[in-house]
Amino acid sequence: MSKIYVHNLSKRYGSATALDNVSLEIESGEFLVLLGPSGCGKTTLLRCLAGLETPDEGEIIMGNRVVFSSKKNIMVPPGKRNLGMVFQSYALWPHMSVRDNVKFGLDVLKTPKPVAEERLDEVLSDVGLGHLDKRYPSELSGGQQQRVALARLLATQPPIFLMDEPLSNLDARLRMDMRVELKRFQSKAQATTVYVTHDQTEAMTMSTRVVVMRDGSIQQVSPPDQLYRQPQNTFVADFVGMPRINLVKLSAETEHGSIFTNGDVRVDVGWNSKCSEIVIGARPEDIMISDEKSADAEHYEITAVLPNGPETIVQLTRGETTLITRVGHDSALAEGQTVWVHFKSSALNIYAAETGALISPETVKISEAG
Amino acid sequence: MSDISEINQGGASRLHRMITDPVNIAMLMLLAILSYLVIWPFVQLLIETLTWGQGDRRISREAVPGEFTWFHWLQATTGPLSGKMLYGPLVNTLKTGIAATILALLTGGILAWCVVRSDMPGKRWLQPILTLPYIVPSFAIALAWEAVFRSPKVGGQPGVYEALLGVAPPEWLSYGAFPISVTLAIHYFPFAYLLVAGALATIDSQMEEGALISGASRLMTLRRITFPVVAPAFVAALILTFGKTIGQFALPFLLGAPTQFHTVATMVYANLTLGLDSLAFVLAIVLIVMSLLSIWLSNRFVGNKSHRFETISGKGFRSRVIALGGWRWPVFAGVVFFAFMVGILPLILLGVQSVMLIDGFYGLDNITSHFWLGKSDPEIAFGEPGVLHNQIILGATWNTLKLAFISAIIASVIGLIIAYITVRRAHNPLARALDQISFIPFLFPTIAFGAMYLTLFAEPVGPIPALYGTFTLLVLISVVSRLPYSVKTGVTAITQIGQELEEAAELAGASWTMRFRRIIMPLASSGVLSGMMVSFVGVMRELSLIILLITPSTRVLMTVGFGYAEEGLAQLSNALVLIVAVLTIIGELILMWIGKGKMARLREKQS
Repeated sequence: MSKIYVHNLSKRYGSATALDNVSLEIESGEFLVLLGPSGCGKTTLLRCLAGLETPDEGEIIMGNRVVFSSKKNIMVPPGKRNLGMVFQSYALWPHMSVRDNVKFGLDVLKTPKPVAEERLDEVLSDVGLGHLDKRYPSELSGGQQQRVALARLLATQPPIFLMDEPLSNLDARLRMDMRVELKRFQSKAQATTVYVTHDQTEAMTMSTRVVVMRDGSIQQVSPPDQLYRQPQNTFVADFVGMPRINLVKLSAETEHGSIFTNGDVRVDVGWNSKCSEIVIGARPEDIMISDEKSADAEHYEITAVLPNGPETIVQLTRGETTLITRVGHDSALAEGQTVWVHFKSSALNIYAAETGALISPETVKISEAG
Repeated sequence: MSDISEINQGGASRLHRMITDPVNIAMLMLLAILSYLVIWPFVQLLIETLTWGQGDRRISREAVPGEFTWFHWLQATTGPLSGKMLYGPLVNTLKTGIAATILALLTGGILAWCVVRSDMPGKRWLQPILTLPYIVPSFAIALAWEAVFRSPKVGGQPGVYEALLGVAPPEWLSYGAFPISVTLAIHYFPFAYLLVAGALATIDSQMEEGALISGASRLMTLRRITFPVVAPAFVAALILTFGKTIGQFALPFLLGAPTQFHTVATMVYANLTLGLDSLAFVLAIVLIVMSLLSIWLSNRFVGNKSHRFETISGKGFRSRVIALGGWRWPVFAGVVFFAFMVGILPLILLGVQSVMLIDGFYGLDNITSHFWLGKSDPEIAFGEPGVLHNQIILGATWNTLKLAFISAIIASVIGLIIAYITVRRAHNPLARALDQISFIPFLFPTIAFGAMYLTLFAEPVGPIPALYGTFTLLVLISVVSRLPYSVKTGVTAITQIGQELEEAAELAGASWTMRFRRIIMPLASSGVLSGMMVSFVGVMRELSLIILLITPSTRVLMTVGFGYAEEGLAQLSNALVLIVAVLTIIGELILMWIGKGKMARLREKQS
């Protein structure tokens, strides 16, 4: 049982706030990803869990044990928290062989030699390094070093895994393979995993839940599909997804009405939102284009066509408004062409412009302005 | 959440954590010890000059030992002897210091340019020879000068100059300001050379090429780009070299004392041998103030400008070599000749002198191995046996090696610990204080530092016994005087070890001592090892630091050699200094080997 509770955690460096009253519950065996731009506090949160940073306020409970509490003045040192960590740089000790690197943790635990050797052989062959155990880290490729770091984490079988951007130093191909591997080891070990990354693909593909952070506070905690489909605010909407979501700011045509416009786009949200300004969020794939005129469609000019393998990104412009859409690679579109745009209205999210918060997932109608 | 245990398994309160943290304990202990060994001696020295001493009853009837008095300061600054005691030496110090600095910087600067920026051949093997004069004890150069220009008018046998030319050299050439300035310059030009070469090497030729492309002439580029960029380093080198020359003791003593030419540093020693301790301490303080001033000035200069001129970018760095054309070989010949004259000839002279039966007669029948191999013979050198049979010298050799070895190890380990604390606890004001205290010994001219320890450990204080005359005291002062260097080496080594390497061990549950032993020490070892070797060589050739603290049982090679030189036993002192010179050169060679071999390999591993 290794549920992790984080209560009202705060950490400041001088006047800068790295963590601002963060609370979080992490289920046992969960693969939780902390996602956010650099400087959002995700690494600080991970280091507080590890015990490498001492928070200023709050409480951390792991399993049934308080490991940090500012009120009760408790701070369990990292080595006594029974967790393992993979660092961004792997932090392999360059003066020790692969085997010694992995063995270190067992040495600290004073594991009897025969037991330790057996465990070492098992772990090393698990990660596929059995034949390289005499090598030094500098003699290994990036992917192999990554595996050593993983083996070091697995050797002592901790119930909690912490990972700080472990794949960011690998090339794109290797990263794909390692994602699968990491996930395999994690589910095999049934370890509660907290994984920091700024790569949303990693977050989406590996996690059971994603925590999006910004400026030291949590923006949203959701399973990945929900995070993509229903971002809780404009920041999350903008941060998640590539190419980026289309966020268009509109004003109410009449007070307390349901119709909003910016002069180019006109939207009927279908109910009274009580907002004078809203932002609509439309994913590129939720905008459909057609070269045939239809009644409820707006016409846009194509201002850029960017082929990208299986898909093509198309930039559309109407007056001051620019939209990005995604079409199949076989569509024959050219710059300067006029197209008619349909919104997949069920997928639109509507945010209050003032707060940036999601106000309704309800269906809206969009029609041509003027 | 009722099942959550609040039993504090392994957890600890903040205060408890702070006081049981081994790093904090080490930091506080080192702060206390270093305060006592670095700051307190200076205070003690100051107090000593402001109170009546036991010996002062001979000088003044008013003297009440232990009472406050301005007497010593007044005596030094306004008394009838003040001209001879303070102002004369002060002028001499400035005169020789400035002359030596300018000479050293000119030669060092020109050589640096030749080696770094020109296409002169033979750079690889010339560089070590050019640094030889700085590696051997300064006092070897003084002895070599004496061997050539010694004048019977001042006593002793004629030197090479007289033997060859048949006339005695003029006195200004043998003793006093001129030879002191020149030999100081010879000893310190490699120092200036290294500083300027370092600055020149940081110039990215792209800066110069940029100027050339924008249409500037080569001369204009040199004037407007190259020189302004190197200028701060040049000025810093100027001031630092000056600061170093004024603390020199053995060299000006050998070439000045025979004609009563004194600098402040030699006057400290002269006064102490005369029993005028308090006066000597006043002069020591004057010396310290001069040194502080020069370092402060240099820091101010570099501090203001150096950041603007940060040129090491790591990217696209390229240093273009300037073709000398037809001058290539003449320049080469000139540099080789110079390197031979200052690097190799002095050692040859010392060697030749040490095998001459009667000093000053140059002929094959005068050659003897007595001073190296001979047994005691009352006819020769007051019955002093040859170096290799001389019990005093064998004892001194043993002491030298022991002192250098023990001090180097202790200084390196303590330096590494201090470096660890300053790097990893950079935000702790106490850690910064520790860093600064460990740097202070660098500011004290070594002879003044020796004088401080003389006053501090003359009598037992509390639990600390009177260490004067013990080997422990020599180790203590050697370690403390090496700390500024070993901390710097340590900081470089620790900074290269990523924090995550240690955190990974911390997460595995390793205690601080285990982390230090299994992670930090092995990874820092290559850097620390070379630092240790530098300290080893440094302590071995040290004279002015310990000359005031040596007693017969704790003699080392340098002080024995100095003693022989004072007594006029040139062959023996030459032989001894030669031994030290060879030992230090061997040390440097080992250092180069470490630098190229093991260190480079480990650095590769770390990256």
